Amino acid sequence: MLKIENLQVSVDGKPGAPLGQPILKGLDLEVNKGEVHAIMGPNGSGKSTLAYALAGRPGYEITGGKVTFAGRDLLALAPEERAHEGMFLGFQYPVEIPGVNNVYLLKAAINAARKHRGLPEVDAFEFLTLVRDKMKLMHMEESFLSRGVNEGFSGGEKKRNEILQMLMLEPRLAILDETDSGLDIDALKVVANGVNTLRSPERSIVLVTHYQRLLDYIVPDFVHVLVRGRIARSGDKTLALELERRGYDWIIEEAA
Amino acid sequence: MSSALATRIAAEHAAASASLPAQVVSPERRRNAIDTLSAEGLPTTRDENWKYANLRPLEKVRFIPPAVGAQAQGSATVTAADLPAPIGGYARYTFVDGVFAPALSAPVAKAGITVTSLRNLPTPLHFAPSKSKDTRFALLNDAFATDGASIRVSAGTDCPTCIELVFIATVEAQTGSSYPRVELQVEQEARLGLIERHLSVGAGANFVNASVKVDITRGATVNHYRVQESGAKALWFDTLSAVLAQGATYKLHGVNVGGLSSRSTINVLLAGEHAHASISVASLGDRQQIQDAFVRIEHSAPHARSEQTFRGISAGRARVAFNGMVVVREGAHGTDSQQSLRGLLAGPEAEIDVRPQLQIDTDDVRCAHGATAGKLDDDMLFYLLSRGIDPATAQRLLKWAFLEDVVARIEVPELRRQIERSLAGQMQEAWLIGPPAAALKELL
Repeated sequence: MLKIENLQVSVDGKPGAPLGQPILKGLDLEVNKGEVHAIMGPNGSGKSTLAYALAGRPGYEITGGKVTFAGRDLLALAPEERAHEGMFLGFQYPVEIPGVNNVYLLKAAINAARKHRGLPEVDAFEFLTLVRDKMKLMHMEESFLSRGVNEGFSGGEKKRNEILQMLMLEPRLAILDETDSGLDIDALKVVANGVNTLRSPERSIVLVTHYQRLLDYIVPDFVHVLVRGRIARSGDKTLALELERRGYDWIIEEAA
Repeated sequence: MSSALATRIAAEHAAASASLPAQVVSPERRRNAIDTLSAEGLPTTRDENWKYANLRPLEKVRFIPPAVGAQAQGSATVTAADLPAPIGGYARYTFVDGVFAPALSAPVAKAGITVTSLRNLPTPLHFAPSKSKDTRFALLNDAFATDGASIRVSAGTDCPTCIELVFIATVEAQTGSSYPRVELQVEQEARLGLIERHLSVGAGANFVNASVKVDITRGATVNHYRVQESGAKALWFDTLSAVLAQGATYKLHGVNVGGLSSRSTINVLLAGEHAHASISVASLGDRQQIQDAFVRIEHSAPHARSEQTFRGISAGRARVAFNGMVVVREGAHGTDSQQSLRGLLAGPEAEIDVRPQLQIDTDDVRCAHGATAGKLDDDMLFYLLSRGIDPATAQRLLKWAFLEDVVARIEVPELRRQIERSLAGQMQEAWLIGPPAAALKELL
């Protein structure tokens, strides 16, 4: 599904800054169909940079390496093409867009993907029935639909809205960037439940997270620890538990 | 203005004066207007509040109206098919090149509302002539006006869905000019919904110079929608002056999309305590267009409230300007004034000028103002792209979102749809964005 080889990424500094700051320094990762991978690591290790670089965010300059997604050269695709190919990024800080309704964003996003696959626009009734079902699952009130995208939403509401979009778009690969941050335990369960309903042998999920807590609810097949722009250690879910117990320092020391 | 232009205006006026209707503006008042213009000239770009306006094309204008003393010639060439779709509940009055066109109008008798062609007015309302230096184009209208609408709303009348005025320009500026004119008086505790639109028929380079006077008496409310959709070559000038008495409310919604060059000058005087003015303007410029708006709100009484909201988008090589001024006079304590002025640059060669001005001569006031000009937000754009929306659609969505603060205030669903369509131009996915609340309810 996703194969990352020796990925190197620099991030643009403030305007006027002379050179990009190297963040990812040769990252390798392979995610197969049906697998759930957790990317963990201390602050500043490059977790969010990986998520943004895969989604094609401007300002994240690829200075080396190769990424193959569903048989295609991912890095040659524009951000919207990556979405059309079935990639979804759940943002750590979903942006507020007052004036654009949630329901219209959802419909436009779905129709963009359908157009790419040569399908006609989604039927309005089917669409609304589906949205309503998914919203129930995410414990969201229907009034959310007519509000501006994330406008005035609490942190937890924004994260639930990300998962709602993911459920509607049914991506082949979901990259969820710190989807657990800022959630209380009840919201975390709702979000995790939403993600779990999407697990299937055909679909892959990459969870970027700082804490082990999320992994109690979305159990990963693999856990990777990112340190200073490289994967320093990989293991199964027990690695996350070990990190919870011992912290990150021992891995940082090992990696040094 | 060059003195040559002033001299020519005076000469053209002298040539036409015998055939200018005295019922519309008295000969003395016309003469006074010409005298003032001759002494002071029209504004030039050296005037502080006119530096963004495009005044040079005035040199080529013939200021005499095309049909002095007669029915408009243009009305023969305009048919009902040229008019926008009617808006339910609004009685339509159409003026072609500044003259009432009964055949294109659908007057509906409404209790307490009197709408009269100024030519047929038994007793004129006697709005005082404009005196400020920024309202000199109203004097030009005084000098040459051929007709107009007089609207009187009697005390206590409630007509929230009421009158639509359609002003059509057909004549080439080198042949003659159009002078739309409105005199509106709303008596106490009455309520009026008014739509005023300006458009062109034919591809001519029209010169339009509108003058609108609004008098809102104690406790009365006016909801005024103004849509400027003149032809692509039109020169459009406009002066609106409104006076609000105690407890009066004036909500003005301006939308400027048309014209090659457009300048709107709006003066609102909050003369009574607890008066409330809300002025929202959306301007869209593209290609070589100039959209310039100047809004001056003066608080002269205590405890009055005012809001100015501006959203402007400039694309192509257009210039979109908004100059929003708030004046709080001595003694106008308890004033509450807010400004939210935002400009969006949608092209590397486009220009946006957003200028807030505050002049406060009293203590105990609350004035909040914000003014920004910039490009589309990169984070918002990337968010939409990451959802599979193509860049062109994403940009259009964000432009709609940007205009929403003004468009959302248009409470007449049919008009709002028409304005959205007008704003959207050729945009296929207009349905997708900024839908009327009613349509959204249908969908849900």
